[in-house]
Amino acid sequence: MTESEPYWGRRALDFVDAIEASKTTASVISQFEKMIGELGFHAYIMAGIPMPGQSLEELTIANGWPAQWFETYNRENLHEVDPVPRHCFNTLNPFEWKHVPYDRERDRAAHRVMMRARDFGLRQGFCIPIHYDDAVGAISIAGERPYLDAETKGALHLMGIFTHGRLRALSRSAIASPNRRLSDMEAEVLRWAARGKTAWETGQILAISERNVRWHIEEAQRKLMTNNKTATVATAIVNREILI
Amino acid sequence: MLEIHVVQRDNRHLYEHYFDPYFQLRHDIYVKQRKWMALDRPDGREIDQFDTEDAVYLFCLDDEKLIGAMRAVPTLSPTLMSDIFPYLSLRGPICRPDVYELSRVFVIPERRGEHAGPRVEMLLLTAITEYGISIGLNGFSIVLEAWWLPRFERCGWKAHPLGLPQMMDNMSVLAVLVDCDEATWKSLCRQIGRTSPILTWRGLSGLNRQLLPDISLPHSPAVQPAQ
Repeated sequence: MTESEPYWGRRALDFVDAIEASKTTASVISQFEKMIGELGFHAYIMAGIPMPGQSLEELTIANGWPAQWFETYNRENLHEVDPVPRHCFNTLNPFEWKHVPYDRERDRAAHRVMMRARDFGLRQGFCIPIHYDDAVGAISIAGERPYLDAETKGALHLMGIFTHGRLRALSRSAIASPNRRLSDMEAEVLRWAARGKTAWETGQILAISERNVRWHIEEAQRKLMTNNKTATVATAIVNREILI
Repeated sequence: MLEIHVVQRDNRHLYEHYFDPYFQLRHDIYVKQRKWMALDRPDGREIDQFDTEDAVYLFCLDDEKLIGAMRAVPTLSPTLMSDIFPYLSLRGPICRPDVYELSRVFVIPERRGEHAGPRVEMLLLTAITEYGISIGLNGFSIVLEAWWLPRFERCGWKAHPLGLPQMMDNMSVLAVLVDCDEATWKSLCRQIGRTSPILTWRGLSGLNRQLLPDISLPHSPAVQPAQ
Protein backbone atom coordinates (compact mmCIF):
# COMPACT_ATOMS: atom_id res chain seq x y z
CA MET A 1 0.00 0.00 0.00
CA THR A 2 1.61 3.27 -1.00
CA GLU A 3 0.88 6.53 0.77
CA SER A 4 2.23 8.82 -1.91
CA GLU A 5 0.95 9.26 -5.44
CA PRO A 6 1.75 5.98 -7.21
CA TYR A 7 3.56 7.51 -10.17
CA TRP A 8 4.99 4.24 -11.50
CA GLY A 9 1.69 2.51 -10.91
CA ARG A 10 -0.06 4.88 -13.30
CA ARG A 11 2.80 4.73 -15.76
CA ALA A 12 2.59 0.93 -15.71
CA LEU A 13 -1.18 0.95 -16.36
CA ASP A 14 -0.76 3.39 -19.25
CA PHE A 15 2.04 1.20 -20.57
CA VAL A 16 -0.23 -1.87 -20.56
CA ASP A 17 -2.93 0.08 -22.43
CA ALA A 18 -0.37 1.15 -25.01
CA ILE A 19 1.05 -2.30 -25.69
CA GLU A 20 -2.42 -3.85 -25.85
CA ALA A 21 -3.14 -1.38 -28.66
CA SER A 22 0.16 -2.12 -30.42
CA LYS A 23 -0.01 -4.40 -33.40
CA THR A 24 3.59 -5.51 -33.83
CA THR A 25 6.11 -7.27 -31.64
CA ALA A 26 8.73 -4.68 -32.58
CA SER A 27 6.57 -1.88 -31.23
CA VAL A 28 5.80 -3.76 -27.99
CA ILE A 29 9.49 -4.54 -27.50
CA SER A 30 10.63 -0.98 -28.08
CA GLN A 31 8.07 0.40 -25.61
CA PHE A 32 9.14 -2.17 -23.03
CA GLU A 33 12.82 -1.34 -23.49
CA LYS A 34 12.15 2.37 -23.14
CA MET A 35 10.12 1.87 -19.97
CA ILE A 36 12.59 -0.40 -18.18
CA GLY A 37 15.37 1.91 -19.34
CA GLU A 38 13.77 4.72 -17.36
CA LEU A 39 13.95 2.47 -14.31
CA GLY A 40 17.66 1.83 -14.80
CA PHE A 41 17.52 -1.56 -16.54
CA HIS A 42 19.40 -2.11 -19.77
CA ALA A 43 19.03 -5.87 -20.26
CA TYR A 44 16.23 -8.42 -20.15
CA ILE A 45 15.15 -11.81 -21.40
CA MET A 46 11.75 -13.51 -21.66
CA ALA A 47 11.99 -17.24 -22.15
CA GLY A 48 10.83 -20.66 -21.14
CA ILE A 49 13.19 -22.40 -18.75
CA PRO A 50 14.82 -25.25 -20.67
CA MET A 51 14.25 -28.82 -19.54
CA PRO A 52 16.93 -31.42 -20.27
CA GLY A 53 17.39 -31.62 -24.04
CA GLN A 54 16.02 -28.15 -24.71
CA SER A 55 18.08 -25.06 -25.44
CA LEU A 56 17.37 -21.60 -24.12
CA GLU A 57 17.54 -20.20 -27.62
CA GLU A 58 14.54 -22.20 -28.84
CA LEU A 59 12.44 -21.10 -25.87
CA THR A 60 13.28 -17.40 -26.04
CA ILE A 61 10.32 -15.09 -26.62
CA ALA A 62 12.25 -11.83 -26.41
CA ASN A 63 15.96 -11.34 -26.00
CA GLY A 64 17.32 -8.06 -24.76
CA TRP A 65 20.49 -9.40 -23.23
CA PRO A 66 23.86 -8.10 -24.37
CA ALA A 67 24.53 -10.14 -27.52
CA GLN A 68 27.75 -11.60 -26.23
CA TRP A 69 26.24 -12.67 -22.93
CA PHE A 70 23.35 -14.41 -24.69
CA GLU A 71 25.78 -16.14 -26.99
CA THR A 72 28.04 -17.25 -24.12
CA TYR A 73 25.09 -18.31 -22.01
CA ASN A 74 23.71 -20.48 -24.81
CA ARG A 75 27.03 -21.92 -25.90
CA GLU A 76 27.88 -23.00 -22.36
CA ASN A 77 24.31 -23.93 -21.41
CA LEU A 78 24.62 -21.74 -18.35
CA HIS A 79 20.92 -22.14 -17.58
CA GLU A 80 21.86 -25.53 -16.14
CA VAL A 81 23.83 -23.92 -13.32
CA ASP A 82 22.30 -20.43 -13.09
CA PRO A 83 20.49 -20.20 -9.73
CA VAL A 84 17.99 -17.60 -11.03
CA PRO A 85 15.98 -19.82 -13.42
CA ARG A 86 16.34 -22.68 -10.95
CA HIS A 87 14.66 -20.59 -8.25
CA CYS A 88 11.65 -19.99 -10.54
CA PHE A 89 10.59 -23.57 -9.92
CA ASN A 90 10.37 -22.82 -6.19
CA THR A 91 8.29 -19.67 -6.17
CA LEU A 92 5.25 -18.08 -7.78
CA ASN A 93 6.38 -14.59 -6.79
CA PRO A 94 8.90 -12.25 -8.43
CA PHE A 95 12.26 -11.93 -6.68
CA GLU A 96 15.50 -10.00 -6.81
CA TRP A 97 18.54 -11.87 -8.04
CA LYS A 98 20.37 -11.08 -4.82
CA HIS A 99 17.74 -12.96 -2.82
CA VAL A 100 18.16 -16.19 -4.76
CA PRO A 101 19.42 -18.83 -2.35
CA TYR A 102 22.49 -20.79 -3.34
CA ASP A 103 25.55 -22.03 -1.54
CA ARG A 104 28.42 -19.76 -2.53
CA GLU A 105 31.02 -22.18 -1.23
CA ARG A 106 29.68 -25.45 -2.56
CA ASP A 107 27.86 -24.24 -5.63
CA ARG A 108 30.78 -22.55 -7.36
CA ALA A 109 29.21 -22.86 -10.81
CA ALA A 110 26.14 -20.92 -9.70
CA HIS A 111 28.29 -18.24 -8.13
CA ARG A 112 30.39 -17.99 -11.27
CA VAL A 113 27.34 -17.30 -13.48
CA MET A 114 26.25 -14.50 -11.21
CA MET A 115 29.76 -13.00 -11.28
CA ARG A 116 30.14 -13.33 -15.05
CA ALA A 117 26.78 -11.62 -15.58
CA ARG A 118 28.27 -8.61 -13.78
CA ASP A 119 30.90 -8.29 -16.48
CA PHE A 120 28.06 -7.43 -18.84
CA GLY A 121 26.58 -4.84 -16.52
CA LEU A 122 23.98 -7.25 -15.15
CA ARG A 123 24.76 -6.30 -11.58
CA GLN A 124 21.30 -6.24 -10.04
CA GLY A 125 18.35 -8.11 -11.40
CA PHE A 126 14.68 -8.81 -10.93
CA CYS A 127 13.04 -12.02 -12.07
CA ILE A 128 9.34 -12.77 -12.65
CA PRO A 129 8.49 -16.48 -12.86
CA ILE A 130 5.71 -17.54 -15.26
CA HIS A 131 4.00 -20.78 -14.27
CA TYR A 132 1.87 -22.91 -16.55
CA ASP A 133 0.58 -26.38 -15.77
CA ASP A 134 3.25 -28.01 -17.88
CA ALA A 135 6.05 -25.46 -18.12
CA VAL A 136 7.84 -22.68 -16.29
CA GLY A 137 9.18 -19.53 -17.87
CA ALA A 138 10.70 -16.31 -16.64
CA ILE A 139 11.16 -12.65 -17.37
CA SER A 140 14.53 -11.54 -16.05
CA ILE A 141 15.53 -7.87 -16.07
CA ALA A 142 18.87 -6.44 -15.03
CA GLY A 143 20.98 -3.32 -14.85
CA GLU A 144 23.87 -1.64 -13.07
CA ARG A 145 21.96 0.30 -10.43
CA PRO A 146 18.23 -0.01 -11.21
CA TYR A 147 15.36 1.22 -9.06
CA LEU A 148 14.10 -1.66 -6.97
CA ASP A 149 11.76 -0.19 -4.37
CA ALA A 150 8.39 -1.83 -3.69
CA GLU A 151 6.42 0.30 -6.14
CA THR A 152 8.95 -0.14 -8.92
CA LYS A 153 8.94 -3.89 -8.40
CA GLY A 154 5.14 -3.93 -8.63
CA ALA A 155 5.31 -1.89 -11.83
CA LEU A 156 7.98 -4.17 -13.33
CA HIS A 157 5.98 -7.24 -12.38
CA LEU A 158 2.86 -5.91 -14.07
CA MET A 159 4.64 -4.65 -17.18
CA GLY A 160 6.65 -7.85 -17.49
CA ILE A 161 3.65 -10.16 -17.34
CA PHE A 162 1.61 -8.11 -19.78
CA THR A 163 4.47 -7.62 -22.23
CA HIS A 164 5.11 -11.36 -22.18
CA GLY A 165 1.40 -12.04 -22.71
CA ARG A 166 1.09 -9.49 -25.51
CA LEU A 167 4.08 -10.92 -27.37
CA ARG A 168 2.59 -14.40 -27.15
CA ALA A 169 -0.80 -13.18 -28.34
CA LEU A 170 0.76 -11.32 -31.29
CA SER A 171 2.76 -14.36 -32.34
CA ARG A 172 -0.43 -16.45 -32.26
CA SER A 173 -2.47 -14.04 -34.35
CA ALA A 174 0.33 -13.89 -36.91
CA ILE A 175 -0.13 -17.63 -37.41
CA ALA A 176 -3.67 -16.97 -38.57
CA SER A 177 -2.62 -14.88 -41.56
CA PRO A 178 -0.55 -17.15 -43.80
CA ASN A 179 0.66 -16.57 -47.37
CA ARG A 180 2.38 -13.33 -46.65
CA ARG A 181 5.66 -12.98 -48.48
CA LEU A 182 8.88 -12.70 -46.53
CA SER A 183 10.36 -9.22 -46.29
CA ASP A 184 13.78 -8.61 -47.82
CA MET A 185 15.40 -8.62 -44.41
CA GLU A 186 13.69 -11.84 -43.35
CA ALA A 187 14.87 -13.52 -46.53
CA GLU A 188 18.40 -12.18 -45.99
CA VAL A 189 18.54 -13.49 -42.43
CA LEU A 190 17.29 -16.91 -43.57
CA ARG A 191 19.91 -17.06 -46.34
CA TRP A 192 22.62 -16.67 -43.70
CA ALA A 193 20.92 -19.23 -41.46
CA ALA A 194 20.90 -21.63 -44.41
CA ARG A 195 24.68 -21.23 -44.54
CA GLY A 196 24.95 -22.26 -40.94
CA LYS A 197 25.33 -18.85 -39.33
CA THR A 198 24.00 -18.34 -35.84
CA ALA A 199 21.79 -15.38 -35.08
CA TRP A 200 24.75 -13.69 -33.44
CA GLU A 201 26.99 -14.24 -36.47
CA THR A 202 24.29 -13.04 -38.83
CA GLY A 203 23.93 -9.95 -36.69
CA GLN A 204 27.66 -9.27 -37.04
CA ILE A 205 27.52 -9.77 -40.80
CA LEU A 206 24.49 -7.55 -41.37
CA ALA A 207 25.47 -5.04 -38.68
CA ILE A 208 22.19 -5.45 -36.83
CA SER A 209 21.64 -6.68 -33.30
CA GLU A 210 21.32 -10.36 -32.63
CA ARG A 211 17.93 -9.60 -31.16
CA ASN A 212 16.85 -8.14 -34.45
CA VAL A 213 18.04 -11.23 -36.30
CA ARG A 214 16.01 -13.43 -34.01
CA TRP A 215 12.92 -11.34 -34.55
CA HIS A 216 13.28 -11.56 -38.32
CA ILE A 217 13.61 -15.31 -38.09
CA GLU A 218 10.60 -15.56 -35.82
CA GLU A 219 8.60 -13.35 -38.13
CA ALA A 220 9.55 -15.59 -41.07
CA GLN A 221 8.63 -18.58 -38.95
CA ARG A 222 5.16 -17.21 -38.38
CA LYS A 223 4.62 -16.41 -42.01
CA LEU A 224 5.71 -19.86 -43.09
CA MET A 225 3.89 -21.52 -40.19
CA THR A 226 6.91 -23.53 -39.13
CA ASN A 227 8.06 -24.19 -35.63
CA ASN A 228 11.82 -23.86 -35.62
CA LYS A 229 14.68 -22.28 -37.49
CA THR A 230 15.61 -25.40 -39.47
CA ALA A 231 12.06 -25.96 -40.70
CA THR A 232 11.77 -22.27 -41.56
CA VAL A 233 14.90 -22.35 -43.69
CA ALA A 234 13.82 -25.60 -45.38
CA THR A 235 10.34 -24.26 -46.14
CA ALA A 236 11.71 -20.97 -47.45
CA ILE A 237 13.97 -22.89 -49.85
CA VAL A 238 11.20 -25.22 -51.02
CA ASN A 239 8.87 -22.24 -51.57
CA ARG A 240 11.65 -20.49 -53.45
CA GLU A 241 11.44 -17.57 -51.06
CA ILE A 242 15.20 -17.79 -50.82
CA LEU A 243 17.81 -19.21 -53.16
CA ILE A 244 21.18 -20.47 -52.02
CA MET B 1 -21.28 -36.64 -15.25
CA LEU B 2 -20.06 -33.10 -14.64
CA GLU B 3 -22.66 -30.38 -14.42
CA ILE B 4 -22.35 -26.72 -13.59
CA HIS B 5 -25.41 -25.24 -11.92
CA VAL B 6 -26.38 -21.60 -11.58
CA VAL B 7 -27.56 -20.98 -8.02
CA GLN B 8 -28.99 -17.66 -6.97
CA ARG B 9 -31.78 -16.13 -4.91
CA ASP B 10 -34.65 -17.51 -7.03
CA ASN B 11 -33.57 -21.15 -6.99
CA ARG B 12 -31.43 -21.36 -3.86
CA HIS B 13 -34.11 -23.43 -2.07
CA LEU B 14 -33.41 -26.26 -4.55
CA TYR B 15 -29.73 -26.32 -3.52
CA GLU B 16 -30.01 -25.63 0.22
CA HIS B 17 -28.40 -28.99 1.10
CA TYR B 18 -25.25 -28.02 -0.84
CA PHE B 19 -24.57 -24.84 1.09
CA ASP B 20 -23.30 -26.41 4.29
CA PRO B 21 -20.69 -28.59 2.52
CA TYR B 22 -19.93 -25.61 0.27
CA PHE B 23 -19.03 -23.29 3.17
CA GLN B 24 -17.04 -26.09 4.81
CA LEU B 25 -15.07 -26.64 1.61
CA ARG B 26 -14.31 -22.94 1.49
CA HIS B 27 -13.03 -23.13 5.08
CA ASP B 28 -10.86 -26.15 4.24
CA ILE B 29 -9.38 -24.48 1.20
CA TYR B 30 -9.00 -20.83 2.20
CA VAL B 31 -8.35 -21.13 5.94
CA LYS B 32 -6.75 -24.56 6.41
CA GLN B 33 -4.82 -24.85 3.15
CA ARG B 34 -4.14 -21.31 2.05
CA LYS B 35 -3.98 -19.92 5.60
CA TRP B 36 -6.07 -16.83 5.01
CA MET B 37 -6.54 -16.65 8.75
CA ALA B 38 -8.65 -13.49 8.65
CA LEU B 39 -11.43 -15.70 7.29
CA ASP B 40 -11.25 -18.21 10.14
CA ARG B 41 -14.47 -18.92 12.00
CA PRO B 42 -15.00 -21.27 14.94
CA ASP B 43 -17.82 -23.15 13.20
CA GLY B 44 -15.49 -24.33 10.39
CA ARG B 45 -17.50 -22.53 7.73
CA GLU B 46 -16.11 -19.73 5.67
CA ILE B 47 -18.91 -17.24 5.08
CA ASP B 48 -18.32 -13.53 4.56
CA GLN B 49 -20.24 -10.30 4.09
CA PHE B 50 -20.51 -10.87 0.34
CA ASP B 51 -22.54 -14.05 0.66
CA THR B 52 -25.72 -12.06 0.32
CA GLU B 53 -29.00 -12.52 -1.52
CA ASP B 54 -27.39 -10.82 -4.52
CA ALA B 55 -24.60 -13.38 -4.80
CA VAL B 56 -24.67 -15.86 -7.67
CA TYR B 57 -22.90 -19.21 -7.30
CA LEU B 58 -21.74 -21.66 -9.88
CA PHE B 59 -21.64 -25.15 -8.38
CA CYS B 60 -19.68 -27.76 -10.27
CA LEU B 61 -21.27 -31.11 -9.44
CA ASP B 62 -19.99 -34.54 -10.32
CA ASP B 63 -22.69 -37.11 -9.61
CA GLU B 64 -24.22 -34.70 -7.12
CA LYS B 65 -20.88 -34.14 -5.33
CA LEU B 66 -19.61 -30.57 -5.13
CA ILE B 67 -16.11 -30.50 -6.65
CA GLY B 68 -15.66 -26.83 -7.49
CA ALA B 69 -17.37 -23.48 -7.27
CA MET B 70 -17.21 -19.79 -7.99
CA ARG B 71 -19.04 -16.77 -6.62
CA ALA B 72 -20.16 -13.70 -8.58
CA VAL B 73 -21.40 -10.50 -6.94
CA PRO B 74 -22.86 -7.48 -8.79
CA THR B 75 -20.43 -4.57 -8.60
CA LEU B 76 -23.33 -2.22 -7.84
CA SER B 77 -23.33 -3.99 -4.45
CA PRO B 78 -20.36 -3.96 -2.05
CA THR B 79 -17.47 -6.09 -3.32
CA LEU B 80 -14.07 -7.25 -2.11
CA MET B 81 -12.52 -4.57 -4.27
CA SER B 82 -14.74 -1.74 -3.01
CA ASP B 83 -14.76 -2.67 0.68
CA ILE B 84 -11.54 -4.56 1.43
CA PHE B 85 -8.96 -3.86 -1.28
CA PRO B 86 -9.82 -0.40 -2.68
CA TYR B 87 -6.09 0.43 -2.90
CA LEU B 88 -5.64 -2.31 -5.51
CA SER B 89 -7.46 -0.20 -8.09
CA LEU B 90 -5.68 2.98 -9.12
CA ARG B 91 -8.52 3.70 -11.48
CA GLY B 92 -11.17 3.86 -8.79
CA PRO B 93 -13.71 1.23 -7.77
CA ILE B 94 -15.58 -0.76 -10.40
CA CYS B 95 -19.26 -0.07 -9.97
CA ARG B 96 -21.09 -1.01 -13.17
CA PRO B 97 -24.35 -2.79 -13.93
CA ASP B 98 -22.60 -4.87 -16.62
CA VAL B 99 -19.74 -6.09 -14.40
CA TYR B 100 -19.83 -8.72 -11.64
CA GLU B 101 -16.96 -9.45 -9.28
CA LEU B 102 -15.71 -13.04 -9.14
CA SER B 103 -14.32 -14.55 -5.95
CA ARG B 104 -13.79 -17.86 -4.14
CA VAL B 105 -12.93 -19.70 -7.32
CA PHE B 106 -11.79 -23.17 -6.35
CA VAL B 107 -11.60 -26.81 -7.33
CA ILE B 108 -11.22 -29.44 -4.61
CA PRO B 109 -7.57 -30.62 -4.42
CA GLU B 110 -8.19 -34.15 -5.74
CA ARG B 111 -9.77 -32.75 -8.92
CA ARG B 112 -7.15 -30.13 -9.79
CA GLY B 113 -5.04 -30.36 -12.90
CA GLU B 114 -6.70 -33.50 -14.20
CA HIS B 115 -5.47 -34.75 -17.49
CA ALA B 116 -8.47 -36.89 -18.37
CA GLY B 117 -10.98 -34.59 -20.01
CA PRO B 118 -11.10 -30.84 -19.72
CA ARG B 119 -9.82 -29.37 -16.51
CA VAL B 120 -12.43 -28.36 -13.99
CA GLU B 121 -10.77 -24.92 -13.76
CA MET B 122 -11.31 -24.40 -17.49
CA LEU B 123 -14.90 -25.60 -17.22
CA LEU B 124 -15.58 -23.03 -14.53
CA LEU B 125 -14.07 -20.18 -16.56
CA THR B 126 -16.09 -21.25 -19.59
CA ALA B 127 -19.24 -21.55 -17.48
CA ILE B 128 -18.97 -18.10 -15.91
CA THR B 129 -18.42 -16.57 -19.36
CA GLU B 130 -21.57 -18.33 -20.57
CA TYR B 131 -23.39 -16.98 -17.52
CA GLY B 132 -22.12 -13.47 -18.20
CA ILE B 133 -23.23 -13.49 -21.83
CA SER B 134 -26.60 -14.95 -20.84
CA ILE B 135 -27.41 -12.12 -18.45
CA GLY B 136 -25.79 -9.37 -20.55
CA LEU B 137 -22.52 -8.72 -18.71
CA ASN B 138 -19.49 -7.19 -20.40
CA GLY B 139 -16.86 -7.99 -17.82
CA PHE B 140 -15.79 -9.45 -14.50
CA SER B 141 -13.65 -7.77 -11.90
CA ILE B 142 -11.39 -10.05 -9.87
CA VAL B 143 -8.87 -9.64 -7.06
CA LEU B 144 -6.48 -12.49 -7.71
CA GLU B 145 -2.97 -13.82 -7.31
CA ALA B 146 -0.76 -12.59 -10.12
CA TRP B 147 0.36 -16.08 -11.21
CA TRP B 148 -3.12 -16.61 -12.69
CA LEU B 149 -2.49 -14.02 -15.41
CA PRO B 150 -0.34 -16.09 -17.80
CA ARG B 151 -2.94 -18.87 -17.53
CA PHE B 152 -5.71 -16.44 -18.40
CA GLU B 153 -3.66 -15.19 -21.34
CA ARG B 154 -3.05 -18.73 -22.50
CA CYS B 155 -6.73 -19.68 -22.53
CA GLY B 156 -7.82 -16.38 -24.09
CA TRP B 157 -9.33 -14.68 -21.06
CA LYS B 158 -8.43 -11.04 -21.67
CA ALA B 159 -7.47 -9.30 -18.42
CA HIS B 160 -6.91 -5.55 -17.95
CA PRO B 161 -5.02 -4.52 -14.82
CA LEU B 162 -6.57 -1.94 -12.51
CA GLY B 163 -3.54 -1.36 -10.30
CA LEU B 164 -0.16 -2.70 -9.26
CA PRO B 165 0.37 -6.12 -7.72
CA GLN B 166 1.01 -5.91 -3.97
CA MET B 167 2.43 -8.48 -1.60
CA MET B 168 -0.17 -9.87 0.83
CA ASP B 169 0.48 -12.89 3.02
CA ASN B 170 3.51 -13.60 0.86
CA MET B 171 1.47 -13.70 -2.37
CA SER B 172 1.50 -11.10 -5.10
CA VAL B 173 -2.13 -9.97 -5.53
CA LEU B 174 -3.73 -7.53 -7.96
CA ALA B 175 -7.10 -6.37 -9.31
CA VAL B 176 -8.12 -6.92 -12.92
CA LEU B 177 -11.10 -6.48 -15.18
CA VAL B 178 -11.68 -9.41 -17.55
CA ASP B 179 -13.65 -9.11 -20.79
CA CYS B 180 -16.83 -11.13 -21.08
CA ASP B 181 -17.85 -11.51 -24.71
CA GLU B 182 -18.97 -14.05 -27.28
CA ALA B 183 -15.55 -14.41 -28.87
CA THR B 184 -14.01 -15.34 -25.52
CA TRP B 185 -16.73 -17.87 -24.82
CA LYS B 186 -16.41 -19.47 -28.26
CA SER B 187 -12.66 -19.70 -27.87
CA LEU B 188 -12.96 -21.32 -24.44
CA CYS B 189 -15.54 -23.82 -25.72
CA ARG B 190 -13.25 -24.69 -28.61
CA GLN B 191 -10.34 -25.31 -26.28
CA ILE B 192 -12.28 -27.68 -24.05
CA GLY B 193 -14.00 -29.29 -27.01
CA ARG B 194 -17.57 -28.25 -26.19
CA THR B 195 -20.18 -27.78 -28.87
CA SER B 196 -23.08 -26.95 -26.58
CA PRO B 197 -23.66 -24.69 -23.55
CA ILE B 198 -22.61 -26.03 -20.19
CA LEU B 199 -24.86 -24.39 -17.59
CA THR B 200 -27.85 -25.91 -15.84
CA TRP B 201 -30.48 -23.30 -14.95
CA ARG B 202 -32.76 -25.41 -12.76
CA GLY B 203 -35.68 -23.45 -11.35
CA LEU B 204 -34.66 -20.30 -13.21
CA SER B 205 -37.02 -20.45 -16.18
CA GLY B 206 -38.40 -17.05 -15.18
CA LEU B 207 -35.00 -15.45 -15.80
CA ASN B 208 -34.69 -13.35 -18.93
CA ARG B 209 -31.68 -14.76 -20.76
CA GLN B 210 -29.87 -13.53 -23.84
CA LEU B 211 -29.39 -15.90 -26.72
CA LEU B 212 -26.00 -17.59 -26.91
CA PRO B 213 -24.09 -17.71 -30.20
CA ASP B 214 -24.08 -21.01 -32.06
CA ILE B 215 -21.06 -23.16 -31.24
CA SER B 216 -22.32 -26.43 -32.67
CA LEU B 217 -20.06 -26.33 -35.72
CA PRO B 218 -16.41 -27.07 -35.22
CA HIS B 219 -14.17 -24.18 -36.14
CA SER B 220 -11.55 -24.29 -38.81
CA PRO B 221 -8.14 -24.99 -37.39
CA ALA B 222 -6.75 -21.79 -38.92
CA VAL B 223 -6.43 -20.21 -35.52
CA GLN B 224 -4.47 -22.59 -33.41
CA PRO B 225 -5.12 -22.80 -29.70
CA ALA B 226 -2.68 -21.14 -27.38
CA GLN B 227 0.44 -23.20 -26.93
